[in-house]
Amino acid sequence: MTDQLLNLACGLFLLTAIGVLWRRELSALIALLTVQGLALTGIAAVLAVGHSTETMVVAVGVGLLKAGLLPWLLRRVLTQVPGARETAPLVNVSASMLAAAGLVLLAYVAARPLVELAPTAAAQAAPVGIAVVLIGFFLATTRRRAISQIIGVMLIDNGIAAVAFLATGGVPLVVELGVSADLLLAVLVLQVLTTRLHAAFGDTDLDELRELHD
Amino acid sequence: MNQVGSALSLAFGLAGVGALAGLVAPARWRSLAAGAAIAAVGAAGAAAGFAVVSGTGWQVSLPDLLPLAGVSLSADALAGWFLLLIGGVAAVVGVYTVGYAGRSGHGPASRAALAVLPVFVAAMLLVPVAASVSTFLLAWELMAVTSLLLVLGEHRHSPAVRTAGLWYAAMTQAGFVAVLLGLVWLAAAAGGESFAVIRAAGPGLSPVVAGGVFLLCVAGFASKAGAVPLHPWLPRAHAEAPSHVSALMSAAMVKLGVYGIVRVGFDLLGGGPRWWWLLLGGLGAVSALYGILQAAVATDLKRLLAFSTSENVGLILLGLAAAGLWADAGQPAVAGVALAAALLHAANHAGFKTLLFCGAGSVLRATGTRDLDVLGGLSRRMPATTLLFTVGALGAAALPPGNGFVSEWLLLQALLHRAPAAGTVITVAAPVAVAVVALTAGIGVAAYVKALGTGFLARPRSTAAASAVESPPSMLAGMGLAAVVCAGLAVAPAVSAPALDRIATGLNAGTAPLAGGGVDVRLSGIASTISPLWIAVGVVGLAVGYAAAARALGRTRRRAAAWDCGDGPLTPRMEYTATSFAEPLQRVFDNVLAPEQDVDVTHPAESAYLVRAVQYRRRLPDRVEARLYRPLIAAADTVGRAARLLATGSVHRYLAYMLGALVAVLVAGVIR
Repeated sequence: MTDQLLNLACGLFLLTAIGVLWRRELSALIALLTVQGLALTGIAAVLAVGHSTETMVVAVGVGLLKAGLLPWLLRRVLTQVPGARETAPLVNVSASMLAAAGLVLLAYVAARPLVELAPTAAAQAAPVGIAVVLIGFFLATTRRRAISQIIGVMLIDNGIAAVAFLATGGVPLVVELGVSADLLLAVLVLQVLTTRLHAAFGDTDLDELRELHD
Repeated sequence: MNQVGSALSLAFGLAGVGALAGLVAPARWRSLAAGAAIAAVGAAGAAAGFAVVSGTGWQVSLPDLLPLAGVSLSADALAGWFLLLIGGVAAVVGVYTVGYAGRSGHGPASRAALAVLPVFVAAMLLVPVAASVSTFLLAWELMAVTSLLLVLGEHRHSPAVRTAGLWYAAMTQAGFVAVLLGLVWLAAAAGGESFAVIRAAGPGLSPVVAGGVFLLCVAGFASKAGAVPLHPWLPRAHAEAPSHVSALMSAAMVKLGVYGIVRVGFDLLGGGPRWWWLLLGGLGAVSALYGILQAAVATDLKRLLAFSTSENVGLILLGLAAAGLWADAGQPAVAGVALAAALLHAANHAGFKTLLFCGAGSVLRATGTRDLDVLGGLSRRMPATTLLFTVGALGAAALPPGNGFVSEWLLLQALLHRAPAAGTVITVAAPVAVAVVALTAGIGVAAYVKALGTGFLARPRSTAAASAVESPPSMLAGMGLAAVVCAGLAVAPAVSAPALDRIATGLNAGTAPLAGGGVDVRLSGIASTISPLWIAVGVVGLAVGYAAAARALGRTRRRAAAWDCGDGPLTPRMEYTATSFAEPLQRVFDNVLAPEQDVDVTHPAESAYLVRAVQYRRRLPDRVEARLYRPLIAAADTVGRAARLLATGSVHRYLAYMLGALVAVLVAGVIR
C-alpha cells in the first residue's frame, strides 16, 4: 500500500515536470508547480509515516513552502509583469519532449548504481528526482523569459529534494531548513531581477543582458 | 614530552606571541618585540634541532588538531639537521630585524610584515618535522603563502616588487601542485599517508610509480630550491624582498627544497635507479654553472647573491646525486661522504648567505641602492659591515679559510672516487661533475671579488655611497653572530661529524661517512683527511707573516701620488665598476650569456672623424627565462584569450554549458 502510494506520488512528480515543459502559459506552469510541490509533500509524508515526528515536520514544512509560499510569490511576479503571459521557448515543444525523454532515460541509467545500493521501493524511485533535475536544467536553458529561469531553478530544487528523500528515507530538519531558506532566497532574488528587468527594458527577455560578460 | 618536544612547543608558542606582538605593539616597539620573538623562536628551534641531531628522537600525533587527517610530527636526525639550520638562520635574522625594520612603523616594520614573519619562521620549522603527507603539505603551503606576503612587503615602492610577487606566486604554486600530485600518488600507492607507512612500502613500489613520484617531487622541490631552469622567481624575489626576508628565504627556505628531495628520494622511496640521480646531477650541474655565470655578470648586489644561491643549490644537488649514484653502485662509504658534503654545504651556505644578504641589506639601507656600479668606497664609511661582508664573501668563494671550502672539498672527494666496477656512466659522469665544480668555484671567486671590490673598496662613485652611515648595533650584532657561526663552521666542521653519521646511517644512504670529531675531518670510507683549522692557521699565518716581514725587512713606507699617466687627478669614474670588471668574463661566455649590447657614437656636425659622445648600453636578459618561459606565458595568454570567446554574455549559453557538463558527467559514469 505504502509502496503504491509512493509510486503514485513519484509518477505525478515526474509527469508535472514534463507538463511544465509542454505547456506555454505561465499561469498553467505555476499551477503545475503547485501540483508538483504537493506530490513532493506526498513523497515526504509517505516516507515519514512510521518514522520520527521530525520527518513529519519536514514534510509539512516542504508542503507549505513548495505548494504554498513559492507559487504565491510567482503569481505576484506575474501580476507585476503583465506582458509576460507565455514562455518563449528557444526549442519547440515537440523537440523539448524528445529531449525530456532522453534525459529521463539518462537519469534512470545513471542512477542504477544508486538503486543497487539498497533495492527498496523508495530507492528505486530515486531516478525520478534526477530526471526532474535534468529537466529543470533543460527548461532554464531553453526558455527566454526570466520567470522561466525561476521555474527551472525550482524544478531543480524539487528534484534534489526528491532524491534526498528517496535515497535517505528522511532528511534531518536542519538540512531541509538550510536548503529551503536557500531556495527561498534564490526565488526572491530572481523575482527582484525579473521586475527590475521589466522596469528597465519593458521586457523580461534574458537575452537583453548580453552586455554582461568578461 | 622530552626536550625536543618542549623546545618545539616553545618555538611555536613564541611564534604566536611574536605574531601577536607584530599586530598590536605600538610602532615604536613593534620591530623590537617581533624581532626578539623571532630570535627566540629561532633559538628554540635550533635547540630542538641540536637535541635531535644529538640522538634524541621525538614524535607526537595530534589527531584532533585538523579535521580528517590530523597532524602528526616526528623528528629524526635529518629533520634535526634542518631544524638546526633554520633555527640558526632565524635567530640571526631576528636580531638583525630589530635594527633593519627600525621604528618607523612602515615598510618592513609595518604591522602585516612583522606579524607574518614569525609565522613564516614557524612554518619553516614545521616542514622538517611533518610526519605525514597532509601535515607536510599543510606546512609547505603555509610557508609558501607567508613568504609570498613577505616578498610583497615593499610593493608600494616599486612595480618590480609586484612583478616579483607574481612570478613567485605562480612558480611556488606550480611547484606545490607538483609536490602535491607526487606525494598523494605516493600515499595512494603505499596505502597510507603517514611517512612511516610509506617508508615501509617504499622499496616495494613499482618502478613506474616510484619514478613518477620522484620526477614530480624533484620538479616541485627543485623549483623551491631555485635550481635552473626552475629558477626565474628566485633572482626577482630575493632581490625585491626586504633584505631580512631575502636572508630567510635564501638561507633557510630554499634549503627545504633540498630537504624535500632527500626526504622523498632517500628516505621515503629508499633510493632509486641510476637515471634518477643522473637527472638530478644534470640539474645540479646546470644550476651551478648557469647560476654562477649570471652572478658573475650581475650588477645588482642582491641579484648577484640570488644567482649565487642557485649555484650553491646546484652544488648541493650534485652532492645528493653523487650520493644516490654511489649508493646504487654499491659504494655506501662514498655515498655517505657525498651526502655529508651536500648537507654540510647546505649548512655552510645558510651561514654565509645569511651574512651576505644581511650585509646587502645594510648597504641598501645606508645608500638606498643595490647597484654595484654606483657604490664603492663603503669600507671607509661602514668598516664593520665591510669586514662582516668579507667573512661571508670568503665563505661563498669557497676559499680557505672560508667555510664553503670544506664542503666543496668533501664534494670533490666524493666525486673523485674511482670505482671501475660502477660502470661506464658513472666513470664518465664523475669527472665531468668535477670539472663543473672546479669551474663553478673559479667563477665564484671572480663574482665575490667583484661584489666586495667594486661595492666596498676604492672610492665612492655616487653621492649616496659617499654619504653612507654605519648600521645600528642590532644589525651589526645579528651579522656578527652569523660571522661567528661561519668561522666556527670553517675551522671546526668536524663537530658536525656525529650528526652527519647519524643522518647517513638513518637514511640507509651510506655508512657513517666522517670518522670521529676533533679538529680533523677524516673520511672513513676513503683514505683522506683534511684539517681546516690548520689550513686556516696556515693561510692566515702566512698572510700575516708576510705582511709583518715586508714591514720589518722591506723599505720604509712613503706616501706618494698614485701614477695617473700624467693625466690626473684620478677620479672615481676611472675605477673598475661591476660591469667593467665582469666584461672579460662576459666576453668569454658570450655564447652562453648572449648579452644585448649596443654602442652609439655621436659625431659633431662639423666632422664625422670627431667623436662627441659614446654611449654604451648592455642588457643581460636571463636566457632561460626568455627562451623557455616567455613562449609558455605567451601560449597561456593565447589560450586564455581564446577561452573568452566561450563567454559571450548569454545566460542561456552559460546554462547550456552547465547542463552539458552535467549530462557529460552522467554519460561518462554510465559508459564506464
